[in-house]
Amino acid sequence: MKSLDEPEDKVTEELDGKAKLRKWLNMNFRIEMTDGRILIGVFLCTDRDANIILGACSEYSKNSDGEPEEPRVLGLVMVPGRHIVSIQIDDTAPPQKYYYED
Amino acid sequence: MDSLGTSPEVTYNWVDITTDFFSHIQDLQLGELLHDGHLFGLFEAMSAIEMMDPKMDAGMLCNRGNPKPLNFQQALACGKLKVDDLEPGEIIGVIDATMACIVSWLEGHSLAQTVLTNIYLHQPHLIGNKTLKAYCIAVYKLLDCIRDCINKAQVFEEEDFLPMCYGYRLGSNPQSGSNYDASLEVTEQKCIAMLKEQEEDLNKKAKSIDDEANNAWAGVAARIRFTRMFYQALFLITKRDSQSGVDCVALLNGCSETMKVIIKTAEKGTQPEENSDAPNPMGFEPMINQRLLPPTFPRYTKIKPRSEALLYFDELVTRLRLAWKITSCTNFHVALDFFMEFSRQRACILSRSALQLLYLSPSPASMASQTVHSSTSVQARPHHLFIEILRESVKSFVNPAMPTAKSGSVGSIQVREYVDNFLARCVRPFAVLLQVCGHNRARQRDKLGLLLDELAALQEEANNVDEVVSSANGTATRACFNTWILYHVLRVMIAYLLSGLELELYSVHEYHYIFWYLYEFLYGWLVSALARAEALSAEPTRKTEKRGGARKLKKRARPNMRESLICQVMQNMCGGYYKALVAFKLQGKIRQPMSQFDNEAVRYKHRFAPLAVISPPQVHYHEFCEMTQPLQYENPVLLYVAGYKHFQQARNLLETITTPDQEVQDLLKVAKTNFIVLKLLADGHKKDSTLPPDFDFSAHRHFPIIKIA
Repeated sequence: MKSLDEPEDKVTEELDGKAKLRKWLNMNFRIEMTDGRILIGVFLCTDRDANIILGACSEYSKNSDGEPEEPRVLGLVMVPGRHIVSIQIDDTAPPQKYYYED
Repeated sequence: MDSLGTSPEVTYNWVDITTDFFSHIQDLQLGELLHDGHLFGLFEAMSAIEMMDPKMDAGMLCNRGNPKPLNFQQALACGKLKVDDLEPGEIIGVIDATMACIVSWLEGHSLAQTVLTNIYLHQPHLIGNKTLKAYCIAVYKLLDCIRDCINKAQVFEEEDFLPMCYGYRLGSNPQSGSNYDASLEVTEQKCIAMLKEQEEDLNKKAKSIDDEANNAWAGVAARIRFTRMFYQALFLITKRDSQSGVDCVALLNGCSETMKVIIKTAEKGTQPEENSDAPNPMGFEPMINQRLLPPTFPRYTKIKPRSEALLYFDELVTRLRLAWKITSCTNFHVALDFFMEFSRQRACILSRSALQLLYLSPSPASMASQTVHSSTSVQARPHHLFIEILRESVKSFVNPAMPTAKSGSVGSIQVREYVDNFLARCVRPFAVLLQVCGHNRARQRDKLGLLLDELAALQEEANNVDEVVSSANGTATRACFNTWILYHVLRVMIAYLLSGLELELYSVHEYHYIFWYLYEFLYGWLVSALARAEALSAEPTRKTEKRGGARKLKKRARPNMRESLICQVMQNMCGGYYKALVAFKLQGKIRQPMSQFDNEAVRYKHRFAPLAVISPPQVHYHEFCEMTQPLQYENPVLLYVAGYKHFQQARNLLETITTPDQEVQDLLKVAKTNFIVLKLLADGHKKDSTLPPDFDFSAHRHFPIIKIA
């Protein structure tokens, strides 16, 4: 956690932000959306508005009684930045590749 | 922090990065994507489902259905579903809503989101009310029959029809797997008997009760009657079972009659609640099958309004009655014209499929590949039937002089074999041609393009057959089979080019070479092919017949006359457009693309690419340029004059037709209007205006009315 927000001078930090985002590519993300649903998938792409694309994504939701429902496999999804409540990253596994390299 | 609902073998250790993430993305430029360059790009990004978009995101609260959908037992337990003592209005409501669902299904929606949202259909055998039970079972049989019909005909694409059943077993018994109970299986006869019994009961009820309620019971009776007759008719069409002794035409006529009563009594039924997705207040759960659908599936199906659905059924029955007429078409050319005309009316998928099955079932298009190898199989029957149809077609079109079987010489047997082989090879392309006519209009174009190769490949063989036949007869080569194939190739080529106009694929600046090609070549060739066919068929095959031949000539000349005349009309129309378009171009009325961005040669090549067959030869772009060069220096006025003369000629020809059909009347209207417009232009009207002319296709799908702004 600490390593994620080291203070640095302004010019390098600009590059640093991108570099750090890049390091997270192909890692598992857990995104909570504004309607309470949780998405877990591989982080593939983002832009300045925090629109995030997750690959091999599954949706975890709760029914009206608060009991978790069976997860739904969604595949490739795009989560608009304005609907993101929180983002978590899985630091157990080494980054896995979503696609095979050629 | 623990993971939520993950499978046991996967463990996560989640670390929150929300604030970091949102600060890091500030370093990205507007519109810049951060991604693994060679693994993931914009292209992949395009196919992602957008979360929180009500159209794409199935899990959204608004899409989840609130409250939770109730299944049959739950709805029954909480009293939301009546299975006994239904009022006639309630039955009408359920039936009409189900019919609306069937129509929505036939328009390309999924079964799970339409008909199968009717929860009565989930447990038809548990319904106490006998009328509704019989109806629900019949609906299952009907769905099965519809699907069978469409699947057999093979003229649907994904946009026309979804055959998926989502685990429901169609055909009387929805239960499958461990719930399956063979004793609940209902045969076709039993289903019809059940419906008939209900019909009688309901008619009695309708008679016993006085006026006000009387209407409603009569309405229910009409619906049951319609369902029975419609099912029987469709079953007959699909199974082609002539033993049953029922008359399909009578059934369909009965359907039309009954539909009048149904439409009249539609308001007697319970109506859908306002702002509700359910097509009827009782018995429908729009979200009940949501879990069965793939995640990216469109969430929401708007069920067709009842009045429109009933009208759809009414028209469907009319179309089926029309399709039945194909059974009396013996001549292949007449049948082909019938198929094309039927398609022109933009018939629905079920009637298009029925037409296919009524003509040839199973289609030799799908059979041909198997039967070529095992011609002895029992299934080869329609294949042989089709060969005979084609043989008859050749005979009536060009009348090839076949050596008679009586002569019995070795040579004549060989010739017969040769011809038979050729016709056997024709089966697939020609069956496919009929099948193509069954597809939706937008899909026909590509399929015609592909078919051209196959048809054109037959031309060389046709030449050989002609030579063999002629040498056996000891005459000079008569190009009979060749003419017959050429005629069909040309028709397909013309249909291909014209469909581009109907589908609005061409830009206005392309029109001139499309119409040029049609005018200068295809229609011209077609006219001469028809003339040649007429000459060939009129030729007396034996010298002794000379006298009778003269009388025969008169009779024989008839069938192609109207077609030949229409071809000349079309040729003149195309000529008129072509000349007008060149004049427009010369006067700067048509905006031309910059050639370095949009090259005419490239477009030309692309437009006519499927026409690149051996014979008739394709006319290439450089030839087009050479041939049309002189017109570049022509006076536009003279071109307009030449153009209106073409339209005048087309009009004169059309007016000789004694029994004009809708098509002829439409063409006449277009020819008349364009004649006047071009005449005005020739007189110098709006000479200096560079405003582009408008091409209005509302009067005819291929031939526009030219309008000057």
